[in-house]
Amino acid sequence: MKKLLLSAAAVICLVSCNNENASANTVQSMKTPQMENFDKAFKSLGDPQNRPTEEEKKRNTSELSDRRKALLVPASKELILSTGVTENELMRKTGGDMSQIIVWATQIYMKKSDEIRKNIKSEK
Amino acid sequence: MKKLLSLLGILSVSLMYAQGGPLIIMNQSVNYDYRGNIFANNFAGAGCNPVVASNNPTMLRVPAGTTVQYDNFRDQYIPGSQSSVATWSVLLATGGTPSLRPWNHPSLVPGGVISNNTKWSMSKFQMFHAGTLDPETYFYGNIGDAANPCVNNVDYINALPMGDASWFTITTGGTVYTYLLIN
Repeated sequence: MKKLLLSAAAVICLVSCNNENASANTVQSMKTPQMENFDKAFKSLGDPQNRPTEEEKKRNTSELSDRRKALLVPASKELILSTGVTENELMRKTGGDMSQIIVWATQIYMKKSDEIRKNIKSEK
Repeated sequence: MKKLLSLLGILSVSLMYAQGGPLIIMNQSVNYDYRGNIFANNFAGAGCNPVVASNNPTMLRVPAGTTVQYDNFRDQYIPGSQSSVATWSVLLATGGTPSLRPWNHPSLVPGGVISNNTKWSMSKFQMFHAGTLDPETYFYGNIGDAANPCVNNVDYINALPMGDASWFTITTGGTVYTYLLIN
């Protein structure tokens, strides 16, 4: 009996793990255009012209340089505005601070990804 | 007395902010799952202790296309999640034996002495073909804060065309957000 229960548990585990992978792929396809642009912006940090310059490497800090932060700002703003926040509110809340805009957008991005994942699960 | 107390209050808040802040692992890769060990350590002092490392599981899994945030050693634990840490290994002194502490151990809570004295420092990782245990032979490494005086780390790993990984921080309002970005 114990063995049966254990193997049942193992099967459930396997099934749920498989579902996880399936939904990871679907989250990709259900992302909003703003989320896709956010992805693209982060991806662009790896483009040769966007890699840290010799000057930037010498700064001895892990902080992303302003030049590279600026690459993330337009898509971050777009993502924040897509939640219904107005341009004025955005400026009032962040004062245009690039770091704050990027971190805020990252939080929205994670929340939206979670929502999509939950929706997929509830549809199943 | 009151002044002293408020001074202590301010001091403790600023110390708290001096702490690492969240670690965000963004796995933007479509093809590969991230599996990696995460570390935090003191960036100053002799031996750079304490050193904290994920222990159970040793290697966390962040599936392809997933972003995970570790707010601190405690507020990251989700029972049953392969992305969260149930037990941390804590090394207090060089040459000592690491002790294994659960996520809710009093010394690991935000504002606790270990939290206050460590920053996210590096990850030792291997990428796997999504949903499998087949490693991508060319996409792995040790990546971390290149400005960490205690450990020599690169902050960029080029495994193109499979992908690349970057480690950087974005600081706002006194909180340091550490990003491990995998493309």
